[in-house]
Amino acid sequence: MGAEVIVTKDLTKIYSGHLGSGAVRSLDSLNLVIRENEVFGFLGRNGAGKTTTIKILCSLLRPTDGWATVYGENVRSRNARRFIGFLPENPYFYEYLTPKETLDFYGRLNGLDAAARAREWDSLGELLDLHRIANQRVRGFSKGMRQRLGFAVALVGDPEVLILDEPMSGLDPLGRRNIRELILWMRDAGKTIFFSSHVLGDVEQICDRVGILVNGKLTTQGRIDELLTQHVRQVEVILAGLSEADAKAIANGADHKRVSEAGRHFVVEDPQKADALVRAAQGRGAQLVEFTPIRESLEDYFMREQGDDS
Amino acid sequence: MRILAVAHNTFREAIRDKILYVLLFFAAVAIFGSKLLGWISIGQDIKIIKDISLAAVSVFGVLIAIFVGTSLIYKEVDKRTIYTIICRPMHRFEFILGKYLGLAYVLALVTVVMAITAMAYVTILGGSIDRTFLMAVVLIYFELLLVTALAVLLSTLTSPILGAIIVFSLYVTGHATGIFVDLPAHFDDTFAKHMLEIVYYVLPNLSNFNIRAEAANELPVTGGYFLWAVFYGVFYTGMLLVVASLTFEDKDV
Ligand SMILES: Nc1ncnc2c1ncn2[C@@H]1O[C@H](COP(=O)(O)OP(=O)(O)O)[C@@H](O)[C@H]1O
Ligand SMILES: [Mg+2]
Repeated sequence: MGAEVIVTKDLTKIYSGHLGSGAVRSLDSLNLVIRENEVFGFLGRNGAGKTTTIKILCSLLRPTDGWATVYGENVRSRNARRFIGFLPENPYFYEYLTPKETLDFYGRLNGLDAAARAREWDSLGELLDLHRIANQRVRGFSKGMRQRLGFAVALVGDPEVLILDEPMSGLDPLGRRNIRELILWMRDAGKTIFFSSHVLGDVEQICDRVGILVNGKLTTQGRIDELLTQHVRQVEVILAGLSEADAKAIANGADHKRVSEAGRHFVVEDPQKADALVRAAQGRGAQLVEFTPIRESLEDYFMREQGDDS
Repeated sequence: MRILAVAHNTFREAIRDKILYVLLFFAAVAIFGSKLLGWISIGQDIKIIKDISLAAVSVFGVLIAIFVGTSLIYKEVDKRTIYTIICRPMHRFEFILGKYLGLAYVLALVTVVMAITAMAYVTILGGSIDRTFLMAVVLIYFELLLVTALAVLLSTLTSPILGAIIVFSLYVTGHATGIFVDLPAHFDDTFAKHMLEIVYYVLPNLSNFNIRAEAANELPVTGGYFLWAVFYGVFYTGMLLVVASLTFEDKDV
């Protein structure tokens, strides 16, 4: 396991309510550890608290309670910000600047000298295909162009950690694929990536680990494959050489679905019961032909974690 | 340098803003129109033109400072352009100072353009420009710097409309702070008088920057007074910028 890069401890944000409306606990004791070179997907419905978390990590918001660090530096300190490249949800830039001027401006903010800024423009402009629109004002840009510029801006200064808020929202399938490839490219370049999404499909394909946020609380975090093996929903068992009567005798609640050339098909609700069924059948001289755990799809899992209050 | 990068950008944005040219147009109308009033007061036209021109430089400068200044920080937060800026390894006060300096630079340019226009007009009409007139222009600029700092402070706290109303009210009272101390004798030693004295010292005394009457009448102003007024402006402006930086430091954006 790599070094700890982003750590949050009991991170909490309560927005003080506007006139009359009460205070809202939008983020509730979030504890996370993101390790070096990980792609971490931060999942949750709209309003779950993803942007709130990200804004705290980027020091736009002050946490009400708890703390967060990046490479051991508290996110409130300027040092922590040296490590971070941030892409906000629907990034906004100065409309009257061109992409080239925009990157130059951010390069200056990062303290790069003129030669370094020129190199950034060459490499990031190339990577994100900005050279063609180098001298066009941001004003007329499409969503996809803005997102590309946003990625370039986030990458200025070659930060180790990328924090991306809903990087794929509002893009067409091709645009989403480009962003996925970009994230994988950044991972291969050794970066640590923390990104939020309310769309499962975006996360499933590229994340090493996910965290699911529901109403400001982290309900689950872990590797996608582990999350799913923990949640084997059903097991299909096929047994050969088992008589009708024996099948009835040992079923014990297992659903005897059908008979095929392979044998008798059973569907059992949990893996332990499936083991018991197999042992009982083998005791009566039957053979195990197939034992298939039917895993929950991430989709089912995600929906279940979110609760049914939709 | 980061502050200069922000300042440069702010300058670039402001000079692409149409409101600047609208206000400059009206300033030019006021300067050239001053001749009409000069005709009415026979024999006094150069004096009147100088007075009105300096007033125009001050008022239109203040309008730019208020209109642009009170939205300076607010707009960055509202349009979310600030997100990708203050997440960088920079201090928030560098952002505030950069925005301020950018606008100060715009105002310097505007003041110079308006002043040169006024001086050229006075010269063409047969008048002459003396040291006091130049001092008056410089002090107007220091007044603008102070008003801009006030506007920037307000833009870290509230909406541009409310901010503009507050700054404008302070501008008007700042030119008449005398009313807080020139009270009738029966107020002597009352609580109200002491409170008003505090108000008098806390509010910016903008009449310190006003030597227009001396400039119009071509009366000398001592270098000592001039330097004192400059110092007063720099000190007050510095305090306002410190307060603006502090209020912005921990603000949620
Ligand atoms: N500035 C704010 N003031 C008050 N409540 C807010 C503010 N920003 C977000 N919230 C509330 O906090 C909750 C979480 O919002 P957010 O972090 O934006 O969620 P997400 O990014 O997951 O969609 C929501 O209920 C939202 O209404
Ligand atoms: Mg969000």
